[in-house]
Amino acid sequence: MLAGLLEGLSLVFQPLALALIVFGVVVGIVMGSIPGMTATMTVAVLVSFTFGMNPTEGMMLLLGIYGGALYAGSIPAILIRTPGTPSAAATIFDGFPLSEQGQAGKAIGIATIASFVGGAVSVLIVTVLSPQIANVALNIGSPEYFAIAFFGLTIIASISGDSITKGMLSGLLGMLIATVGLDPTLGQPRFTFGFPELSAGIEFIAVMIGLFGLAEGVNRYREGIGTIDLQQDLSGITPSRADLKSIRNVTLGSSVAGSIIGSIPGAGGDIASFVTYNEAKRWAKNATPEFGSGNIKGVAAAESGNNSSTAGALVPTLTLGIPGDSVTAILIGALLVHGIQPGPGLFDNEPGLVFSIFIGFFLVYVVILVLGLLGAHVWVRVINFPAKYLWPSIFVLCVVGTFALRGNLLDMWVMVAAGVLGFILRMDGYPLAPIVLGMILGPIAEENLRRSLELSNGSWDIIYTSPIAMVILLLAAASLVAPIALQYRESE
Amino acid sequence: MIEDSGRREFLATAAVGTTVGVAGCTDALTPDDNGSDSEAADFPSDDIEIICPFDEGGGTDLTARQLSEQLENQLDTSSFVTNSTGGSGSVGFSEIASASADGHTLGILTVEICTVSHLDIGDVTHEDMTPILQYNFDPAALTVHEDAPYDSLEEFVDYAEDNPGEISVSNSGTGAIWHLAAAEFEQAADIELDHIGYEGAAPATEAVLGGEVEATTSSAAEVSSQVQDGDLEMLAFFGDERHPAFEDVPTLTEEGYDVTVGAWRGIGGPAGMDEEIVETLEDAFDEIHSSEEFEEFMENNNFQLEHRDAEEFGQFMDEEYDRFGELIDELGIEGE
Repeated sequence: MLAGLLEGLSLVFQPLALALIVFGVVVGIVMGSIPGMTATMTVAVLVSFTFGMNPTEGMMLLLGIYGGALYAGSIPAILIRTPGTPSAAATIFDGFPLSEQGQAGKAIGIATIASFVGGAVSVLIVTVLSPQIANVALNIGSPEYFAIAFFGLTIIASISGDSITKGMLSGLLGMLIATVGLDPTLGQPRFTFGFPELSAGIEFIAVMIGLFGLAEGVNRYREGIGTIDLQQDLSGITPSRADLKSIRNVTLGSSVAGSIIGSIPGAGGDIASFVTYNEAKRWAKNATPEFGSGNIKGVAAAESGNNSSTAGALVPTLTLGIPGDSVTAILIGALLVHGIQPGPGLFDNEPGLVFSIFIGFFLVYVVILVLGLLGAHVWVRVINFPAKYLWPSIFVLCVVGTFALRGNLLDMWVMVAAGVLGFILRMDGYPLAPIVLGMILGPIAEENLRRSLELSNGSWDIIYTSPIAMVILLLAAASLVAPIALQYRESE
Repeated sequence: MIEDSGRREFLATAAVGTTVGVAGCTDALTPDDNGSDSEAADFPSDDIEIICPFDEGGGTDLTARQLSEQLENQLDTSSFVTNSTGGSGSVGFSEIASASADGHTLGILTVEICTVSHLDIGDVTHEDMTPILQYNFDPAALTVHEDAPYDSLEEFVDYAEDNPGEISVSNSGTGAIWHLAAAEFEQAADIELDHIGYEGAAPATEAVLGGEVEATTSSAAEVSSQVQDGDLEMLAFFGDERHPAFEDVPTLTEEGYDVTVGAWRGIGGPAGMDEEIVETLEDAFDEIHSSEEFEEFMENNNFQLEHRDAEEFGQFMDEEYDRFGELIDELGIEGE
């Protein structure tokens, strides 16, 4: 482990790698500040430009964007009551009231500190635990992989937002899209309609670019891109010692909780921040001011929750090869392009790369802390930047980024089709995130279930005689029932 | 709706985006062929494109880039690699096959050119190509866990005979070359194995380490570090001769099974190339092949060198095509 750590250090502390971290964070903050431009979209559109770099450099850029965008999502949430990224939705509850009370600077300062602590704590946890998890993972097999992927799929019910039914339909649509390609067991083409290009399946990054870039952009035009003219007093960004003391416990607690939630495949920053916010609210019963009316603890809980989920998401990504969320799914794609297979073997084969990812991600949060506290005045202006100048460029990047993935024209049609589909689905209130989840986890679940049954000659014993698989499947059952039970209780 | 001034702004910003975007991916764009009918005498009269049917950064791509780099010096021209991937290589193969046969578009031909049409993944075959030179052959190897109840190929076969269908063998995907290798050995030894497909060679190797399957048949390079660490044990090598890094592992042929199978790579162009141009290219790649630089590159990346000239390579592909056709028929994995 020590050798890997040293090799990782030597990979990260290179001028280019460090510059890419800073550049990535800046790009991430700018994109994350603009409502509608998410971490997922930015990473998806830009991933193909990292193919020419070495794996570590590419990862530094992408992780910088990932962390920067998740952090910056809080800025418009606080200032204009619109989350820059979905993960910042919970930051609005207390962040916007603070802003209304003229304390926007303080709210942004707290959000910055909490993002840093969340990210840094969770990177430390992940660095210590991942090698151990990878060791255990070496001994888990197809039934357990099936259970984990299935568990991830059941998370769809809880991220579906307003309607569980619509969320489920989106998730199933994603799974359906992913059945195109070679059958994993029989090796026969499925739904390829005679196009050899389709036998490797539909390129999921192309679909993501369509859904989160093209569809989102067109939707913004439909809703009308207004110009926001924001005049905010931003004094007191650096939090006082008393403030820091008051958020200490809630921030650390939310960081740990966020890391755990992030490590569940399918559960990302949005779920993490809602859970940590609600927990913080439950713990602080008699808080003054009340949660929801401008308590800095609420901002701290939400922001440490969503930023800690990012490093948490790296756990299944690197140790199992199962992405923790949609951004890490793209990271896996980027590593595969370099011939690197994420999974338990990664820690033995590429220890330097693994530790360079951890070290780099830690540095990303250090950069966020510095840029966030010193440059808040600048980032706030980004919100004022008229989005009408940016979206056209995003559309171009959607096309170019898709083509550059592997120089395949069919991918462009896939991207455009996904954009049109995504636009229609959004108009009818279908969430798009479950589509991606279904596309990523569906094939993992299918392949491992079928392989399990092949190994056991068709007997289901292989699933329920595995204690690990059973525990995870029970969790999956719980996560399916819980939202329905909650909805029922609320309607009582 | 975008009003008038908005439209102008839209176009202007789109243009900025285009410039940024295109600047970032010029290597993915192919310069136009100048269309002149180049005669064999002044070949090469233009840049030479090498189409790689697999992803950037993968093994095939590495070799393509090495060849391209050395070809520049050899023929005193520019050469570049484009990746056109998908369909187990058939997308790139089709692109090679449909390119102009003037020698300025070449491509890497891999073992998949002899399997994809049988597997019904694509309809392109070696007959759509002009072979130039084969430079690599990575034979399969039969590798088991070190705790396995068999320590030699003979014991493995005996065990399989006593317990038909008990031994599961992992491979990098159904219909992929390592699956075909295992199946061919299974036939030759007249035993019954259970073939389990994984998403790539690395998970297939991990499945043996984790004890989910008993054996795997990927290339020796893929398992070499685990074999050197002692976690895995190599029982047989599927090449003509023993592997230089594993001198004590017998070949299947030595053990009485007439099987030589593995992945291979060569260079070729579209069918119907001018003979003189083929000869020029063959000489050029011959020089590259025997250069110290190329040998060192192949060794550093764990690729085994092989040499078949244009004619031998063509015959070899004929044989491989027929043999994999029969094998895939018998395995029943071909499409409708």
